Amino acid sequence: MAQNNNQMDFQEKYLSRGQLIWRAFLKHRLGVGALVVLIVLYLMALFADFLSPYNPAEQSLRHTYSPPTKVYRTYKGQRVKAYVLPSLSYVDKITYERTYKEMLFPRRLVIEKPDGTRMTYELGKDGVESFKFSVNRVESIKVNGQWYDVKKSPAITDHFLFNYNEDVLNKGVSRFETTSAVAQEMFFKAYKDRFGLTSEYDIEAVAVTEALDSIVVRKDGKFEMIKGKVIDYDYKTYPIKWFVTSWTGKFLWLFPSKLHLFGVDNYDNNQFVKFYIMGADLFGRDVFSRIVFASRISLSIGLIGVFITIALALVFGGISGYYGGLVDEAFMRFAEIIMSIPGFYLMIMLRAVLPLDLPSTQIYLLIVFILSFIGWAGTSRVIRGLVLSIREREFVEAAVAIGLSNWKVLTRHVLPNTTTYLIVNATLRIPGYILGEAGLSFLGLGIREPQASWGLMLAQAQDVYVITKAPWLLIPGIFIFITVLAFNFVGDALRDALDPRSLG
Amino acid sequence: MLRYIARRLIIAIPELLIISFLVFMIMEAAPGDFLDQYKLDPSMSKETLEAMKKELGLDQHPLVKYFKWLSGAIRGNFGYSFYYRRPVSKLIWERVAATLTLSLTSLAGSWILGVALGTFAALKKYSLGDKILTVFAFSFIAIPSFFLGLLLLYLAARTGWFPIGGMISIDHNTMTVWQRFKDLLWHMALPATALTLGSMAGLMRYMRGSLLDVLNEDYVTFARAKGMPERIVVFKHAMRNAINPMITFLGFSISGILGGALFIENIFAWPGMGRLIYQALIQKDLYLVITSGLMSAVLLVVGNLVADILLALVDPRVRLT
Repeated sequence: MAQNNNQMDFQEKYLSRGQLIWRAFLKHRLGVGALVVLIVLYLMALFADFLSPYNPAEQSLRHTYSPPTKVYRTYKGQRVKAYVLPSLSYVDKITYERTYKEMLFPRRLVIEKPDGTRMTYELGKDGVESFKFSVNRVESIKVNGQWYDVKKSPAITDHFLFNYNEDVLNKGVSRFETTSAVAQEMFFKAYKDRFGLTSEYDIEAVAVTEALDSIVVRKDGKFEMIKGKVIDYDYKTYPIKWFVTSWTGKFLWLFPSKLHLFGVDNYDNNQFVKFYIMGADLFGRDVFSRIVFASRISLSIGLIGVFITIALALVFGGISGYYGGLVDEAFMRFAEIIMSIPGFYLMIMLRAVLPLDLPSTQIYLLIVFILSFIGWAGTSRVIRGLVLSIREREFVEAAVAIGLSNWKVLTRHVLPNTTTYLIVNATLRIPGYILGEAGLSFLGLGIREPQASWGLMLAQAQDVYVITKAPWLLIPGIFIFITVLAFNFVGDALRDALDPRSLG
Repeated sequence: MLRYIARRLIIAIPELLIISFLVFMIMEAAPGDFLDQYKLDPSMSKETLEAMKKELGLDQHPLVKYFKWLSGAIRGNFGYSFYYRRPVSKLIWERVAATLTLSLTSLAGSWILGVALGTFAALKKYSLGDKILTVFAFSFIAIPSFFLGLLLLYLAARTGWFPIGGMISIDHNTMTVWQRFKDLLWHMALPATALTLGSMAGLMRYMRGSLLDVLNEDYVTFARAKGMPERIVVFKHAMRNAINPMITFLGFSISGILGGALFIENIFAWPGMGRLIYQALIQKDLYLVITSGLMSAVLLVVGNLVADILLALVDPRVRLT
């Protein structure tokens, strides 16, 4: 204990002020943790191109509202390297519901021919190039406990869907039954005359049966049609890898680079293969990549906005505090008027009256400008107060006595003494700016598509139907929350650390 | 006291004039006007547009428009909404009730809960309860109101316990009074919760800090040393002083009563002022915008005045002259 005290005394004597502040800051565990979080977030913004597995603007209409892609670690009971399956999001033709299914692309087939011989075909071996399956599809309805076939259609496909018609390969026949109201109604409309139905509830169920007719194997450029039973099969899997080369991003805005931290190895360019760790939005864009890119806008707007606000506040507050008189009156009345218009309304008003359809960069600047315009008033009043009290101190009198010009006294001696307040004020103000931008974008007045910002991404989730189908669209809100929380904690810790009483 | 109030109200008049003028000028300085949305419509001929422009008075000089509006406003006529083709005052009046129901409920809720929990946290400093409340408060300060709204909307949609929007059910008119009241409460539950949680968190932290400051004062120590019961020390001596800075806060809360719920109103399709003003701004519905801007400013003035009067009532040291 005594030694500890000695060390404290030593530190208090010989450490610089900066070191003392740092020491006081480190005592705040929450503040330090929040600082680490912020550093991680800003690194994320910096290396956005490297971190995102997909181009944030790249659409894939086959993956509308895809949920986070499931990662498998076992294949037919055996442990393998992590992989994903191709997937498809589509509107089911029978139930009219948006459905998401994983796809089965056969890679190897063992077929038993009617004469009893078994043949093995594997893609890429013995000249086998592709498989196609000819499937007989039968739609049937159940009326009075009796099934009737209503529509027969042959189809050619190169894939099957898990949990839907994979039984075509397993057993030769798959069956899908539904009692959905939409299916009942659609089939009622189509077949009421043929069966003499009076209400859609007469249709007790609807079923789709698919049976394997034949398999077409393309071998050495020639097609071979095989009738037979599938005994065994393997399907394509796509491994997840670190450091994948895919789309061309710009590393640090400068160097074109195809290297990305993680991704799926899409070896045969299958457009159904996607690896969405946080799902996909309406246009099948990767939510994670968009969050990462949006962080550039959402995180930088706070910093730049606060920087401009403080510059404005220093000029106006400094001048009116130091010179006083008429200038002071004019500036402060102006600040009061701005402060007396409710902040968010002023913001929306300014934004709404300025043209809406601008390029994204201009909108960005506009938002920064609006946020700073609203924010400077409060800070400049505090600065004015601080300047008023600092002006009376001896060192300022000394500076004036030496004969320094007013401007020099103000910028070299008076304003630097407001730094402590400004640092804390800036940190605690940034969340307001981030929320301001998010709010504007949420209302559709801020950043526009295809650019992403966290608020704009949340705007997609405003629809009840969308939220229930795709709750992962709410994830950007969590990022806003974490960022704001982290800035608040860091600000609190800084306030304590910069308090002269805590320096010891 | 009455003289003081009268003086404050008189001072407020030039302030309100300047604000309305400023809002007017911002709207005028902006490119485009209300008719822009019709210009894209090919079925609208140039002559029709010209006629509409004349009819709405958009061809006049901005200053002429402003003073026309002002002279009307003094007599209680706040102009017509371009979009709704109805008097602005009526439009706003219809929405005020919906907004006040929501915002007064959440104002009361957040103040009662905020002050109570803040007091509890301050009295049980560093206890488990205090720590939980601190985490809670920091979380809700950091959570954007629209995100909280969306989360609650998600909850409503998933569980079906609450309606997902609107203020009343379709069959509201056929209900008895008691059922109507319940129906309203049921619809209000989520938006009011979202608003309450958001503002309560800040109030709670503020109350805690304020009360902790007061509890360290000498007179509290003295009261305790005298052997006064703790209840009286806290509620009679400490609380009355701790509540002072909170009252200034109340002024701000009052000023946000009409427009403060924009996001929540949007998310829960609540037919309130926030949405009305927002749409008016987007459509450049001039008179609706200025009138609502003026109303917000009036509320700010009134809120500050109420706060000052309350302060004088609570704190005998404050004298209003």
